[in-house]
Amino acid sequence: MSAVRLDGVRVVAGERALLDSLSLNVEPGEHLLVVGPSGSGKTTLLRAIAGLAIPSSGTVELFGARVSDGAKVLIPSEQRRIGFLFQNSALWPHMSAARQLEFVLEHAGVPKAQRAGRASELLEWVELKGFESRMPATLSGGEAQRVALARALAIGPKLLLLDEPLGPLDYELRSGLLAKLGELQRKLGLTVIHVTHAPEEARAIATRTLRLRSGRIEVSE
Amino acid sequence: MSRPLVTLALLVFALLGLAPLAVMAGRVNSEDLAALFTANSGVLLGRTALYGLGVATLALVLGVPFGFLTARTDMPFASVLRPLGVVPLFLPPMMLAMVWTAVAEIRGAGAAWFVSTLSTFPLVAVFAARAFERIDARQEEAARMVGGLRAVLRADLPLVLPPALCGACLAFVFTVNDFSVPDYVSWLGLPKFSVYADSIYATWRIDASPGRAVAMALPLVALTLLMLIPALALRRRGALASLSHDFRTPERISLGAWRWPAFLSCTSLLALAAIVPIGRLLWEAGGGPRGWSTTELSSAFALALERSRGDVRNSVTNALITALGCVALGLVLGHALERARRGRLLEPLVLLPLSVPAVLFGIGIIVLWNRDATAAIYESDFLVSVLLTGRFMVFAVLVAGGAVASLDPRLEEAARVAGVGPVRRLTHIVAPALRSSLAGAFVLVFVLSLRELDATLLVPAANHTAMFRIFNQIHFGRDAFVAALALLLVFLIVLPGLLWSLFARKRLELLP
Repeated sequence: MSAVRLDGVRVVAGERALLDSLSLNVEPGEHLLVVGPSGSGKTTLLRAIAGLAIPSSGTVELFGARVSDGAKVLIPSEQRRIGFLFQNSALWPHMSAARQLEFVLEHAGVPKAQRAGRASELLEWVELKGFESRMPATLSGGEAQRVALARALAIGPKLLLLDEPLGPLDYELRSGLLAKLGELQRKLGLTVIHVTHAPEEARAIATRTLRLRSGRIEVSE
Repeated sequence: MSRPLVTLALLVFALLGLAPLAVMAGRVNSEDLAALFTANSGVLLGRTALYGLGVATLALVLGVPFGFLTARTDMPFASVLRPLGVVPLFLPPMMLAMVWTAVAEIRGAGAAWFVSTLSTFPLVAVFAARAFERIDARQEEAARMVGGLRAVLRADLPLVLPPALCGACLAFVFTVNDFSVPDYVSWLGLPKFSVYADSIYATWRIDASPGRAVAMALPLVALTLLMLIPALALRRRGALASLSHDFRTPERISLGAWRWPAFLSCTSLLALAAIVPIGRLLWEAGGGPRGWSTTELSSAFALALERSRGDVRNSVTNALITALGCVALGLVLGHALERARRGRLLEPLVLLPLSVPAVLFGIGIIVLWNRDATAAIYESDFLVSVLLTGRFMVFAVLVAGGAVASLDPRLEEAARVAGVGPVRRLTHIVAPALRSSLAGAFVLVFVLSLRELDATLLVPAANHTAMFRIFNQIHFGRDAFVAALALLLVFLIVLPGLLWSLFARKRLELLP
């Protein structure tokens, strides 16, 4: 059973095809790097898997369950249990680091009494112990991205989607976060689809690289 | 997006905002339409359009420099003058007319133009100020390197002009639909200044025929829509110049020797629009020509409170209920407007209640609710909130919609993939992120509701409000009581904004 299976997925914006009849299989535990020039459909691929972009045709399956069939959404985003790490973190500006995680844990059905402890544990995973009460505006780019990673992991996903998570960080922070990602992937047995502009940095932890161009797969190696 | 919630909000909007219009439209017959084509209607319409265009142009001429000086320069006390610049917009225009016709003995068209310009220039100023401060520093630096300050202003102007014109369009709409100022200056004596909104009111007073009133209003509705639709388009173009995630705040421009003259110009404008009117009311409340004293002043306030306590309480209660209702509906509909696939179709629809003259909207409320089945509502004070919510919801929808447009959609998407449902996303992610705009919408609707006269004038349930009491009282003669009541109303109008600036760290976002 594939972790992710796309069959003939097409996503359009107006006249333009962002993904053009794209088919793809990702095996459980894989760390798939997705590269390609700007506008090649990398982010759209992640959004189609997450259910944030609705395909006009084709099917999407996650761990054997069909989640969309053409324009019909069979399982909405909020029920797919996917971790999504956005570019520029997308932290909720009015919530502290711990509250971001507790809010997600609440929706994952974690009992109230366990949420604070679980949030601290997640922050410890990303080496931000003691940052519980810090607000997003007071975090550096690297810290914000690690809080966002903890938030993406809070629902206990089997699939993690990374949309250029290292983009805004300097070299040292990028290496640190990459190492952390590799370690967490092994520890949690995650399947990762990782969109990046700098494949050379992530290649060490990747199992396969996919190159997109104009919404189609150009190379898979 | 929660479909049941959006559907419910749309139904409430249809009932409060659209049904009063629909029920009126159904009453028009061919005779009513024929009566429209009289020579007098054409003259009135031409005069009203000219009046609106003149005021909008003057508002543009005064508002853009005021916005620029207060938002982007090192003018002394710019940060104090900028929020004070909104105050004239909040003062009831009739109150300005009351004061200036007494202070300067101006009458007729001149008085109406002068008062309406003072009342509406802040609309342009706030739009222009926000646009000026949302220009990225790097864009200005690039222009500066090419041709100095002149190049900066030339580069900035195309970004500022659309929102400023949006403000001018709104100034036009406010002016042509206002009945109270032309009515008051005409009531004072010659020369009279009759405008279109005035004639709709007169038509209803003479024969109480809804069809005739609607037919009379049609040209004014067309004129209003003609300005509101470009205003919406210009608002969107203005939003293009808004903040991006790596926005760099532009530096304040040094005025050099012009700092103090600029300060004097802005202060003079504020003096004409707010300080003199409030000062004059204080003078009148304290005895005026009979000799000013604090004893007179306190007894005038005591009398105002004693005679009008119920009216003031009604006004505040109605305004609070209206503002709360509008913000709740505005959040749901504003979010749908920006995020739903065909949400933009909603935009012209929400404008409709504002596009009809306020007097006509009030008549629509009477026709809709004055029937046996709804007598309990029609006779209760709650009808005033129903009327005001239908009329002013558009502001909350547009303010919330504008704020949603500038909110990073990834904040909502992050919650969505984390399993958060649509209602919780709206209440826990969107609403807190928009709190300055929602508070701004609340204040805006609260203030507009407190100062509203035209829409409520003919509705019996609205005859027990502070604004109605002032309108009635000034026709029986000006005295310390009227001045004190007007000041009390001004205090209540500025109170929410004042409390927000004292206790909140973020600036109130009043703009749609």
